[in-house]
Amino acid sequence: MSAAVSRYFSSSIGRKQLIALSGLLLCGFLVTHLLGNFLLLVGAEAFNLYAHKLISMGPLLYVAEAGLAGLFVLHLGLAIKLTIENKVARGQKYYVKNRTGRGETIMSASMPYTGLILLAFLISHLIHFKFGPHYSTDINGVIVRDLYKTVVEFFRSPLNTAWYVISMAAAALHTSHGFSSAFQSFGFNHGTWTPKVKLLGVVYAIFVAGGFALISVLLHVKGA
Amino acid sequence: MSTNILDSKIPSGPLSEKWDKHRFDMKLVNPANKRKFTVIVVGTGLAGGAAAATLAELGYNVHAFCIQDSPRRAHSIAAQGGINAAKNYQNDGDSIKRLFYDTVKGGDYRSREANVYRLAQVSNNIIDQMVAQGVPFAREYGGYLDNRSFGGAQVSRTFYARGQTGQQLLLGAYSGMMKMVNKGKIKMFNRREMMDLVVVNNQARGIITRNLINGELERHVADAVLLCTGGYGNVFFLSTNAMASNVTAAWRSHKRGAYMANPCFTQIHPTCIPVHGDYQSKLTLMSESLRNDGRVWVPKKQNDTRKPNDIPEDERDYYLERVYPSFGNLAPRDVSSRQAKYRCDEGLGVGATKLAVYLDFRDAIKRDGESTIAGRYGNLFEMYERIVGDNPYKTPMMIYPAVHYTMGGLWVDYNLQSTIPGLHVLGEANFSDHGANRLGASALMQGLADGYFVIPYTLGHYFGSNKIDKVTTDHEAFKEAENRVKMADTKLLNMKGSRSVDDFHKDLGHIMWDHVGMARNEKGLKGAIADIRKLREQFWQDLKVPADNGNYNFELHKANRVADFLELGELMALDALERKESCGGHFREEFQTQDGEAVRNDEQFCHVAAWEFAGEKASPIRHTEELKYENVHLSTRSYK
Amino acid sequence: MSDNANMTIYLKVWRQTSAASEGKFVDYKVDHVSPDMSFLEMFDVLNNELVHKGEDPIAFDHDCREGICGMCSMMINGKAHGGQKGTTTCQLHMRKFKSGDSIVVEPWRAKAFPLVKDLVVDRSAFDKIIQAGGYTTAQTGNAPDANANLIPKTIADEAMDAAACIGCGACVASCPNGSAMLFMGAKISQLALLPQGQPEAPKRALEMVKTHDELLFGNCTNHAECEATCPKEISIEHIARMNREYTKATFTYYEKERSAGA
Repeated sequence: MSAAVSRYFSSSIGRKQLIALSGLLLCGFLVTHLLGNFLLLVGAEAFNLYAHKLISMGPLLYVAEAGLAGLFVLHLGLAIKLTIENKVARGQKYYVKNRTGRGETIMSASMPYTGLILLAFLISHLIHFKFGPHYSTDINGVIVRDLYKTVVEFFRSPLNTAWYVISMAAAALHTSHGFSSAFQSFGFNHGTWTPKVKLLGVVYAIFVAGGFALISVLLHVKGA
Repeated sequence: MSTNILDSKIPSGPLSEKWDKHRFDMKLVNPANKRKFTVIVVGTGLAGGAAAATLAELGYNVHAFCIQDSPRRAHSIAAQGGINAAKNYQNDGDSIKRLFYDTVKGGDYRSREANVYRLAQVSNNIIDQMVAQGVPFAREYGGYLDNRSFGGAQVSRTFYARGQTGQQLLLGAYSGMMKMVNKGKIKMFNRREMMDLVVVNNQARGIITRNLINGELERHVADAVLLCTGGYGNVFFLSTNAMASNVTAAWRSHKRGAYMANPCFTQIHPTCIPVHGDYQSKLTLMSESLRNDGRVWVPKKQNDTRKPNDIPEDERDYYLERVYPSFGNLAPRDVSSRQAKYRCDEGLGVGATKLAVYLDFRDAIKRDGESTIAGRYGNLFEMYERIVGDNPYKTPMMIYPAVHYTMGGLWVDYNLQSTIPGLHVLGEANFSDHGANRLGASALMQGLADGYFVIPYTLGHYFGSNKIDKVTTDHEAFKEAENRVKMADTKLLNMKGSRSVDDFHKDLGHIMWDHVGMARNEKGLKGAIADIRKLREQFWQDLKVPADNGNYNFELHKANRVADFLELGELMALDALERKESCGGHFREEFQTQDGEAVRNDEQFCHVAAWEFAGEKASPIRHTEELKYENVHLSTRSYK
Repeated sequence: MSDNANMTIYLKVWRQTSAASEGKFVDYKVDHVSPDMSFLEMFDVLNNELVHKGEDPIAFDHDCREGICGMCSMMINGKAHGGQKGTTTCQLHMRKFKSGDSIVVEPWRAKAFPLVKDLVVDRSAFDKIIQAGGYTTAQTGNAPDANANLIPKTIADEAMDAAACIGCGACVASCPNGSAMLFMGAKISQLALLPQGQPEAPKRALEMVKTHDELLFGNCTNHAECEATCPKEISIEHIARMNREYTKATFTYYEKERSAGA
């Protein structure tokens, strides 16, 4: 059976499906993340309590974080390998290459680039918040981290806000192709349902990336 | 004169038992011994692909050669209509006997009864085999195979896969080949052209090929050679054949001793897209089914420059309906083609070149509605619009006949063996089954029958009943053959004349089309022979081939092919001249009724004419094989 | 020449003597182009001029010239076969261009399709993919009656959609990743749809994909540019079916080692 496993992991289709699976799971994570972030709009206390709840999960948190990191590394690593292989497979470049307009789109063509932007974003995101300035606050006698303050301070800067909006634009492009593409990779393609899946992918991209971007902008407007 | 050498080896016994009896009488090769034999298969169309795959399955070592970059591209791929079989799935009265009878009659009684009967017998196995290979034939909703009536047949016996039957069958045969390549039993040689046949001790033992990419000549030795190289329609320059279709393999085998049979029997298909200009490289066929609903007409006035839709009804001549009131627009291929030529000869042709007639769907659209017509012919209309730029829903199509298929070819006996022992010829390259005219949807059937169900038996018989000595490529005969090719190449390259290969080929095409085409007469044929000789002389003095840089010199390849066409063309004219009758695709103007119908001469010409090459300077020798009809009565076709 | 042969076309064509040599673009001016010419007939005219001038004519693959053999293969202004929907290069006509147009013509480019000369490339990798399993093991002679297996019309039609592939390689040429998934998917899908192909379906999917990967074709990233340039308009639904077949085979197909027996 191990032969079948290694064959799957080294095959083009197997790896593509692993990228698709990790991508879809990351998409799911983004939704929960966004829902949590909406608490930023409710107020400092609500948000900080929510953050505190998460932090106090103890070992579970580490499991979750490790899981997320694993998914991300898998997604990124395979994607980099895939991109390099594909560049090699393309061979000598065309002098002129035009799209027919019926296939490849900006979204699909920019996947490696939007992916890299998202990688940079993720690193900066962790630095700014997870490992960013640590303030404390007292909620009903409990000392908790005042992450709300960190966030608000961060978005006071128009540059920071702009970076987040740009990154979310990249996320929108990335997921609007990635979401429906994952279904195709698993072999789900159907005359009736596929157009709906594609639409769902776009709706998802606008909702999630738009949601994050909107929160950044609102916080900036509020803080400035 | 009839000669012993043309022994057709037709088995004795009743017609329907001949093949069975023969299969029992033939020698077998022990399974363990099959792997000791190597077979060269030249060409990978339906005949060659099927033969290569099947022989490899049986255990022979097969070396297969194709001129394209892959065996999947042979021109069998372009057949649109379908493939006949006597399955009688429609319960409409078909039978092996009826398919046999229709094919003999369609061939205007110039084919061998026994061969045609065998073809009809194995036709059913072909369909089974192709379905097993995953050919997606058209089906009914219930899952059963669909059939249609084709080319005026009175029963629905044609199996089809959209308008791409030839492609699907070829890919089936190709997949069979690829399976055996994977098993190591077929060695594939792509982008190779057979340049000569090597005969050792009066047995075909090998070929000389050119690697088309680097130009190198290669020697290949085997125990038998199968030619599956298709027809020679490109002698007319313009035909529906592919650009690489040529006669070189067959012609050079002819020069080594294989007889060429009935070379003048050429099929001209009535519904092709007309010629636009001198630059034209090939002609495109439009399925014959269009004549089910389209009406063929020309203006009654010469040089009528009005747009077709501006020409009123009473100034149109629906000439097929006028001349053949009962068959009308569905008159057979040769008859419709000739009528179109007559109209254009009378100056009534239409379009820029005046070499076209209208095929009008106006009345059919009025009657059945545009969507119904689109349902039937949508893809054909699209193809027409893509090529011509006119919308056939709005203006009538323009069509004109074009060379489509050659019934003639190398002479073979019942075992598909030529007059050179060990050289077997399959498919369109041989002359065997279609007589003077081929019925629609029968070419695919014959190619596959030869490859899948005939040669696997008869080749074993050849091996089992002949002593084949060990020979290597160092044999003198290989050296000689290779030198012949080299010398011709040197000559072609060194002329440094002023005209390109295509220039000569086009000139030859004009001569052939004008005098050895749809209608022939003594004066024209004699003139054509003289003109071809003159052209051939010029060719060998004034040809310009770019210097050989060792890299894919396709002008040199074409030059070799045209050199052979220039010889074949003369033989075709000579054969047409000697056949003093009209039959099938061969129409001699001297032999017709007052109404312009063909007059066959069964007394003197109920035979196969097989030509022996007698040397570069000598006239070829005409041998004959009498055709005996014991099971059908020779009648005259009438479509009035 | 017919009287309407009055277009002038400026061509920029890739010339390269062999795989080993350096290539470059060469400019040609072609006069007397008729709108009724096919794109390849324009090349015939140019080549005839080159031969008359004593120059090396341009090598390009072509054969049937009616859009079915899959031999022709030109990247025309950055689009495989010129980008006209459902059309091969041989069926592309000059009326789609204007007099005075400049047209860049390049060969198919992909690691798995090495260049042979000028516009000719080696597509034998396609044959190798088919050799790995693109067939049914139906030995001649042992086929049951053609109507023994009923195949619903919808299934037969879908299989035919996939089987329409002409193996021209436009999918690989236009794929940003040089992937042959549409070519391979079409064959796997055709045979997986039909009962005749099903007994070998898992093995076929595994073997063909393995061969595809080894031949240095790229991976599919679902751009669908292949579908858009395919002259036979084969859908990427067939890639999806291949993906399903592959996944199914991975998790269900298992060949036990068994002794051969007597």
